[in-house]
Amino acid sequence: MKKKQTKASPKDKSKNLVEILKKHGAQVYEDLENGQFPKISIPNRSISNIIYDKKLRQYVLGTNTALRSAKNSSQLRSFTQLIWLAFFANKLTQEKKSSTLRDVYYSSQAFAVDFEDQSESDNIIVDLEAVLTKPREDFYVFPEERSSIFGDLTIEYTIPGYEGKTQNLSSHPDGYAIGPSMTSAQLVDTSAELVIAIEKGGLFTRFVEEQVDKKFKSIIINTGGQAPRSTRTLLKRLHDEMKLPVVILTDGDVYGEHIAMVIKSGSANAAHLRELTVPDAKWMGVWATDIEKFKLPTIPMTESDIKRCFDLQKDPRYQEGIWKKELEVFLKIKRKAELEAFSKYGLTNITDKYLPEKLEMAKSL
Amino acid sequence: MSSKEQFNQISPSEFFYRNRDLAGFSNPTRSLYTAVREFVENSLDACDHSGTYPNIHMIIKAVDPDKPDPKQYILTVKDNGPGIPSKHVPLAFGTVLYGSKFGLKQARGMFGLGATMAILYGQITTNRPVKVKSNADGKLRHDFEMLLDIQKNKPVILKNEEKASSEKGLSVSICLEGDYAKAGTKIRDYVYQTSLITPYATITFDDPKGEKFNHKAIIRTMPPAPTIIAPHPYGIDVETIRRMLVDTHYQIPNVDNKMIEKIRKELGMSKKKFSYNEIMKKTVKKWKSLTRPVRVVIALMSFLEADFEKLQRIRIEDVDLRNNKLIYWDYSTSETLAADMDTESVYYKQLANTVQGESLTQFLTKRFQRVGPTSAVEFCKFAKFKPETRVGNMSDQDLVKLSDALQTYEGFRSPDPTCLAPLGESPLARGIERRFEPDFMAVVQRTASAYSGFPFVIEMGIAYGGNIESRGTKVYRFANRIPLLYDEGSDVVLKVVNDTDWNRYKVKNDSAPLIIVSHICSTRVPYKTVGKENVADRPEIEKELRLALQFLSRKLSGYMSKKGQAEMAKKRANLYSKYLPLIAQFCTELAEKKNEPNYKQMLEKENTIEEKTN
Repeated sequence: MKKKQTKASPKDKSKNLVEILKKHGAQVYEDLENGQFPKISIPNRSISNIIYDKKLRQYVLGTNTALRSAKNSSQLRSFTQLIWLAFFANKLTQEKKSSTLRDVYYSSQAFAVDFEDQSESDNIIVDLEAVLTKPREDFYVFPEERSSIFGDLTIEYTIPGYEGKTQNLSSHPDGYAIGPSMTSAQLVDTSAELVIAIEKGGLFTRFVEEQVDKKFKSIIINTGGQAPRSTRTLLKRLHDEMKLPVVILTDGDVYGEHIAMVIKSGSANAAHLRELTVPDAKWMGVWATDIEKFKLPTIPMTESDIKRCFDLQKDPRYQEGIWKKELEVFLKIKRKAELEAFSKYGLTNITDKYLPEKLEMAKSL
Repeated sequence: MSSKEQFNQISPSEFFYRNRDLAGFSNPTRSLYTAVREFVENSLDACDHSGTYPNIHMIIKAVDPDKPDPKQYILTVKDNGPGIPSKHVPLAFGTVLYGSKFGLKQARGMFGLGATMAILYGQITTNRPVKVKSNADGKLRHDFEMLLDIQKNKPVILKNEEKASSEKGLSVSICLEGDYAKAGTKIRDYVYQTSLITPYATITFDDPKGEKFNHKAIIRTMPPAPTIIAPHPYGIDVETIRRMLVDTHYQIPNVDNKMIEKIRKELGMSKKKFSYNEIMKKTVKKWKSLTRPVRVVIALMSFLEADFEKLQRIRIEDVDLRNNKLIYWDYSTSETLAADMDTESVYYKQLANTVQGESLTQFLTKRFQRVGPTSAVEFCKFAKFKPETRVGNMSDQDLVKLSDALQTYEGFRSPDPTCLAPLGESPLARGIERRFEPDFMAVVQRTASAYSGFPFVIEMGIAYGGNIESRGTKVYRFANRIPLLYDEGSDVVLKVVNDTDWNRYKVKNDSAPLIIVSHICSTRVPYKTVGKENVADRPEIEKELRLALQFLSRKLSGYMSKKGQAEMAKKRANLYSKYLPLIAQFCTELAEKKNEPNYKQMLEKENTIEEKTN
């Protein structure tokens, strides 16, 4: 059984965040007290300031920052919004109350801080992420839950009302939703030796039924398409804290390939955040080359699929290895295959034949 | 194909009766509006030309108010102008193409056509006569009731009365089919806008619903009346030149008793009988003081060797310069005779000149504006005519050549604008000021320019804010002091306004309370249609409009940036007082302080800055 090796507990994380928020608040307070207009420096998130960091193996923001000042009448409103959000985030974190993007939008109305629409408030949330270089989950703003986890993993809750309570994640066959309580829980121990992230709920259920967790000593995670940040955080923690390798199984198309890439090295959208990536994660299929090899039934690629291929070819992360090769093959065959395509050869074909072969191969990646 | 096609000549009345929609009488709505325009404009023109401050009273009354539109209305327009002498009334109102407006000067109407059209329209829709009351001398008023005989283009007088009255002026009343429910807005707009461009006129309007609109004169200065002038060389065609030549041709004077009296008087030989030789002797002495007709007759006498008695017995038939013969008819012998002409004689030259007409340079300097002796000679060089060419000798080809050269020669000075009557900057400004009480206003009158021979002047005003209720750029278009209300979209003024990038002048185009008043004055406004509602985009006119608008826009821009700075400061202060308290509240909690920071001093400081900018 692997035991958790503490790095930074969720509690410390919260404390750390509250400190940063307080520091910003104090700076603004001091400025006002001195009759100065307060300002906050925000990393520039425009495309020109997003660069690929080869060492970190992810996109990061460059050194450009924009100064948001309360003196500038066109920035005053968004400055106020940002200070309000910092204040609100502080409250959420201290009270351990989770909320969603939509909650934040409506909460603002109680404080006479007006957002024109949710996209405006969403934008301010990303601004605060960039200022803090912390994902919003850290200040208790969570996405809708659509991602789940199953396997022999024991966690200990930290959320109010459940503190100290433990739970093993193999007792309910439908899996457990990856929500705020899961993300903030301590990872206690596990017998698993591997994490399998899978793109689709249907296959997730099949894997549980076929006891992939036991057969391959694995924790199974359903990413529900593009993995939400809380899921990516959990994947990272499983990798870093529990020292588990992560493999990813997606549909055999260009979008699937990119789902794997985002887990591995993040997205340009989240270039202002670190600690969301699992650089060692491995994409084990379904590859373009698998389509021929396993004689999978296919459907033709659409025009937007093809365009997406060309777009990704410009991405620095797709310049080598299987990433580059598979993209080329997709473009050559111009066909794609879903995970369900294996059902042509029997419902368990994917777990009986495909999975063992690919897992073996993944070791050499 | 029928071979029995008939070719009938139709009278002008009949022509217009058949084509009445050309003149704006296409339906009851448009017709009522057009009729109003024609009468009001005639009244204003009459007052302008006689130098009277116009006082115009218009009444529209439904014959049967309870009927639904379209229905019969009685339209009456009364003015305080010079009236029309009673002998001209039947022809002026009872025939088409009779008028006093055929000269070259600026007037609202062109040919006095429209009023008669309105009468014609009233008559065909209601079969009722037009009532005209005219008082031209301030003593006697002549009341007429008459109908138009369309086929004969002649008035039929039903009633003609005279009444003693001291009020000068003209009142015209017609009954016509109209639709006030639909035309009302346009008519009220028309009256309103007319008062805007004619601020020295009082215009009152009683509408059929019992409402009274009273637009009082707001200034007591009238622009100088336009004068009739000779045409400019540009824009003259061959036919016009031909007509001018006929006018200028010296005719051999009629030799009657009156003429002989005149010759006797000028020679100082009144009573006695004189012989031929005595007359010639006297002539040599007096030649320099003789008038041209007398010289011509004496020249004839010299070749005929005639005394006064013989002169009375003959009639000149032809002066044949080719064969040097003078052909005449002798009453005493009843035969055609010929006398030789001595080409060396001074009298020959006199006669030849008379028959051949003026020299080209003389013709140009006398009959056209802006052509002096020097430019006439220069022009002849350009057109490859000899300056002393006699216009009477010019062939048709020569005339075409002349007309073409007149169009292409660039040396003539631009047309004389004295025939134009722009409103003037100050009356225009005061008109706008009184009607809109704007926050900002500027007016400009451009110097006169010309398009194909017709002089024109652009006047323009711009106003912002105040009592202007419209939003976006509203354009009031005028031409020769007529408001143009229909067909806005295709007008050259609109084109110029729409081409303007208002952002450059710090104006938010779609929400600004901005009006533009544009006035084009010309002896001939290039309307696109007979309905006189939109001006065609001649490049010369477009250019002048553009320059005027640019000049005004720059002034507006200056005002807007001042106003913008003040507004910005105020807006900023408002923003600060809204948001700074919030920032203070949130950062106090974030920093875990007890009291809010002292930010009020900052608000006060911002407010003083704002006052300074104001």
